[in-house]
Amino acid sequence: MVEVSTPVKWLLRVLAIGYVFLLVAWPVSTIVREAFADGLGTFVEIFSDEQAVNALTLTVQVAVQAVLINLVFGVGISLLLVRYEFPGKRVLSALVDLPMAVSPVVVGLSLLLVYNGRDGWFGEHLEKWGVQIIFSGTGMIMATCFVALPLVIREVVPVLTEIGDDQEQAARSLGANARQTFLRITLPSIKWAVVYGVVLSLARSLGEFGAVKIVSGNVANQTQTATLLVEKQYQSFDQAGAYAVSFILAFVSVLCIVVVSILRPKEHSK
Amino acid sequence: MSIEVTNVTKKYGDFYALDDVSVSLPTGQLTALLGPSGGGKSTLLRIIAGLDTADSGTVAIEGTNATRLPPQKRNVGFVFQHYAVFKHMTVAKNVAFGLEIRKTPKAEVKRRVGELLELVHLSQFADRLPSQLSGGQRQRMALARALAVEPTVLLLDEPFGALDAKVRKELRDWLRRLHDEVHVTTVFVTHDQEEAMEVADEIVVINHGRVEQVGSPDQLYDEPASDFVMGFLGEVTRLGPVRLRPHDVEVATSPGRAGAIPGTVTRLLRVGFEVRLQVQLGDEFGTGAEPVSVVLSRSHARSLDLELGSKVWLTAAVGAVTVPAMIAV
Repeated sequence: MVEVSTPVKWLLRVLAIGYVFLLVAWPVSTIVREAFADGLGTFVEIFSDEQAVNALTLTVQVAVQAVLINLVFGVGISLLLVRYEFPGKRVLSALVDLPMAVSPVVVGLSLLLVYNGRDGWFGEHLEKWGVQIIFSGTGMIMATCFVALPLVIREVVPVLTEIGDDQEQAARSLGANARQTFLRITLPSIKWAVVYGVVLSLARSLGEFGAVKIVSGNVANQTQTATLLVEKQYQSFDQAGAYAVSFILAFVSVLCIVVVSILRPKEHSK
Repeated sequence: MSIEVTNVTKKYGDFYALDDVSVSLPTGQLTALLGPSGGGKSTLLRIIAGLDTADSGTVAIEGTNATRLPPQKRNVGFVFQHYAVFKHMTVAKNVAFGLEIRKTPKAEVKRRVGELLELVHLSQFADRLPSQLSGGQRQRMALARALAVEPTVLLLDEPFGALDAKVRKELRDWLRRLHDEVHVTTVFVTHDQEEAMEVADEIVVINHGRVEQVGSPDQLYDEPASDFVMGFLGEVTRLGPVRLRPHDVEVATSPGRAGAIPGTVTRLLRVGFEVRLQVQLGDEFGTGAEPVSVVLSRSHARSLDLELGSKVWLTAAVGAVTVPAMIAV
């Protein structure tokens, strides 16, 4: 550690805290204040408003399905990236990071171009078979999967790299087949990374806006998620409602992070 | 023969890790694969275990061609240098792993694990996690885990390499005793010639991906097949036209013997019971030539009354192992 003089130490602390306060804590706290401006009244209203309940339910449905899909593919791709050598590995690794860099709006647009029913590359054929992707739950789940894809992988890859494949080789030499090795050795070793990745993905998926807005069509009671509802409420001067739904979204995300930070230290103390 | 390796070649890019290696390892013995780091010995062990595959050549274990078998079908026990313990399982669970995979009845697993932990002196640690054990204990646990599946061969990759000197020596003696008790065909990789000489019934010296020599420790020490084997199995020094071991150099304080080479003691070091000398030979043997190393017992050195600057005459002892010195120095 570098020794820093006391005034510098305090200056750095004030800077860091001030930055986070102005950028994160204060704005979020105003949401809380506004949401509770009428006490619990707004919330009673929200939960008795069919449109709001539908939007929240849809958000949860889309997020949970997207997280489950990302869990399976995330762990699979992580294993592929860490344990195997194959041509195009670096390309795959870079592609996995792409959703971090690309704006969700672009993601939505590109999905629209490929899967729309009128002139999309696959969309026309799929529509003939009776499968509709754009303006339906499927498209929204795909968009959400896309934006949350790196979260599980970026958590799991470093842990897989760190534990190495010694334990897996030992399990193989003791007679375990690939499935047994994965379930008994690999999975328990990366358990916490997976949990953390899942929670991050969940928080990210609940809050997804741009990509979902484009592929969903934003039809109230059908393809309108909570974030889309917030925007609509805000634009139609229902600010109280917008704040209340925002608060619910923020609360769930914060809850996710709190749960993880409570779980996380256990892994280190082991 | 328990393990038959025939014409095995393994390349990493342009580098030959193993170059047409054939070796037979007898049943029931403790064999050491000895050689410098990067010489190919670990690769050979991993190919026997099925953890790596050879580019060409075959491996047979107890008469079965195992070349294409995955590791879990070879019935070998493998002990890794860094133990490869299952960190999330207790010691007992680690040892039980292979048995549970084989769907052994619970009572039987419990009995076997109890026996094995007894064997490796870890009974009182059964419910601990590996992180609560010392390095030596972890390695013994790894050994018990490998033995649990009753393997036809037990393979150990630098088993004591990561341990400190004292523990290493203890475990080495213990492995020898264990082998005398259990009698499973055992192959271990080491770069430590002392370890190989002390523990093994037979040593396979491997260097640059080739087998240099196979033999008992005595054979290798007394009849090294090459300059490399001689140099690797113990200290070597050069006396005039030959290379020999420092303890095979006879020291006299007068020019009595035929062919004795005169020199001056330039260094004298007492280490425990032995005395190590460096003797600089006269100019006629080339100035700047490396001094000759000599090892004497302490009492012998005392009887000769040696000190720095003493004039001595050196000869090769009768019956000493010598090989002609290479011209290049």
